[in-house]
Amino acid sequence: MIVSNVPIRVVDFGGSILMIVFSFLCLNTIRRLKSKDPDDVMWEYLLWICLGLAIFAISRSVGHILKQIVQLFGDDSLWEAIRPFSGGINTIMFVVVASVMLFFERIWIFYRRVHKGKQALQSAHNELIYLNQNLEQLVAARTDELVQSEHKYRRIFEISKDMILVSDADGRILEVNPAGYQMLGIDPEHDSLNGKELDTFFAQPSAWRRIMDDLNRQGFVSSEETDLLLADDKTRRILVSASLNEGSSPQDHTFHFLVKDIEQQRLHQEQMAQTDKLASIGQLSSGVAHEINNPLGIIQGYTQLLMRNTTNASAQYKDLKIIEKHVKHCKSIVENLLNFARPSETSKSLVLLGEMITEQVEFVQHHADMSKIKITTDFDPDVPPILMDEKKIRQVLMNLIMNAKHAIDDQGIIRLATSYNPHTRKAVIRITDTGHGIEKKNVSRIFDPFFTTKPPGEGTGLGLSVSYGIVKSHGGYISVRSTPGRGATFTVVLPVKP
Amino acid sequence: MKFDAIRLFPLLLVLLPLLPDTALATQAHGDPEGLFVHQFAHAYFAISLAIFIYWLRFRNLIEETGWRYIQYAAFFLILWNVDAAIAHLLDEQIKIIEVERIGNWHIKITSTDNTVFTIVLYYLVKLDHLLCVPALVFLSAGLKQFLKAPLPSAPEPDNQEEQQP
Repeated sequence: MIVSNVPIRVVDFGGSILMIVFSFLCLNTIRRLKSKDPDDVMWEYLLWICLGLAIFAISRSVGHILKQIVQLFGDDSLWEAIRPFSGGINTIMFVVVASVMLFFERIWIFYRRVHKGKQALQSAHNELIYLNQNLEQLVAARTDELVQSEHKYRRIFEISKDMILVSDADGRILEVNPAGYQMLGIDPEHDSLNGKELDTFFAQPSAWRRIMDDLNRQGFVSSEETDLLLADDKTRRILVSASLNEGSSPQDHTFHFLVKDIEQQRLHQEQMAQTDKLASIGQLSSGVAHEINNPLGIIQGYTQLLMRNTTNASAQYKDLKIIEKHVKHCKSIVENLLNFARPSETSKSLVLLGEMITEQVEFVQHHADMSKIKITTDFDPDVPPILMDEKKIRQVLMNLIMNAKHAIDDQGIIRLATSYNPHTRKAVIRITDTGHGIEKKNVSRIFDPFFTTKPPGEGTGLGLSVSYGIVKSHGGYISVRSTPGRGATFTVVLPVKP
Repeated sequence: MKFDAIRLFPLLLVLLPLLPDTALATQAHGDPEGLFVHQFAHAYFAISLAIFIYWLRFRNLIEETGWRYIQYAAFFLILWNVDAAIAHLLDEQIKIIEVERIGNWHIKITSTDNTVFTIVLYYLVKLDHLLCVPALVFLSAGLKQFLKAPLPSAPEPDNQEEQQP
């Protein structure tokens, strides 16, 4: 087949020239890239490829151009002489380029590692420059932040109403906030808690051991209820939460305690329970007393009727008299029960508390053997007149004073004091004795009907119950606080109505 | 006395050059060997380029224009290698093509298998610059892209760096 060889000649000739041109363009570009970053291994790699291709392009293209020229002049001998050299160089060069290309993956990984290292170095360098230029401001800003943070947390520590305490791993106190000192009843100006053993402030050693065991085992303690031993040997109910702050070694561990005072809450709960209990007992007593009162009235009526028809000197009359006496005693008890549970109608009037107490004290001193007992009074002149059933409140005072007298075995002091709180509009009567006090187990029962610590026959156990009922019917309440062996204080709180 | 082959071996080595023979002479590299080497080189170059393209794609480098152009360059060079290898095969290796110049502007192409396809194929593969020139154009364009967007912007997940296929 005879065909035109013009396309072949044109493509061969033009292509050869373009090969040289573009191979040199590539070399020039890679030169510019290398001049930007001479140490870049990727440019070095691409340079080898471009160089190989350029040599290949020159060798091949020059050969082909010569071939075209000499063939046009009809002399193939020159081309035949050049061809082995051109072909040999071509073969070598694209083998070289192929070999270089096979290393791309390794070169790329190396390039990335170097690049990452460079980036990290540059980043560190920039950071150093930034720090160098702004160190003072940064330190100042950081210091300011720290001061603010310290101030904030210090303020929480200082003004907290709960005790915040830090101890070391052995339980030695490192720091306590003012609320802690206050809770323990210690004056921080005279006595420091730092360095003291925290376990000495726990009323029950077993509670402290339990807390420490939990802290060491699980790293925290949550709302553990126990008693705190105060400086004056009193106890206070508390809720303890604590957590372990781990140091670099077990000896560097610290414990952070948060101690909440729940004494008032506990007292309130006890009072609520006491009130509920007395209300239940009152309801029961009221029912029983009401049912007994009617038959007693009938018995008393018929007894008195029989007595009218009997001569006074007869034995039958004496028997009826004994019946009447015991019925009256029973009715008195029933009446007291009813007073405790459901106070009867009252006739209230405005009474000055101080005057009434003074009269009552004088009455007691005249009618009871108070020779070895000193009675002191301390009345608040600001207590306003109180609307009350004077007769019944006098009964309350009588009961409390007589109880105080009985609590003092031989000689002692009974203090009567009044006070007034204009904010709560409540008047308080405090009757304190220096007697034997009330045992802890009895404190919650002393207002129960028929509960008495007196020997049989000496008391009915209704005095405090009746007093409780009377004060309650006035909208007030009565409470007791006692330390066994050191006396007791009864507190009667009465509302002052405008 | 016991025969000791190991001790005699150095002696044989010394005596060997003194006993020349055709079987022991340097191997001759005659005419077809150069052609075979050249064809192997084309195959080697094509395989290298294919591996190169594989790594470019594996490393997601082709998402960047520069590397994408270089990938195209490699692809055209593969085509060129195939083209050139076919041309060498037809007129030099299996010699089924004969070319005779008729003047300066015409050629007579004869195929020993008497098929037009072989002649057309040969004519087309002789236009190999249509493949190698675009390859260099793409290479040049790819490198120029690196001048605009340097390599560090090459998108590649960090965790792929040491990954092997």
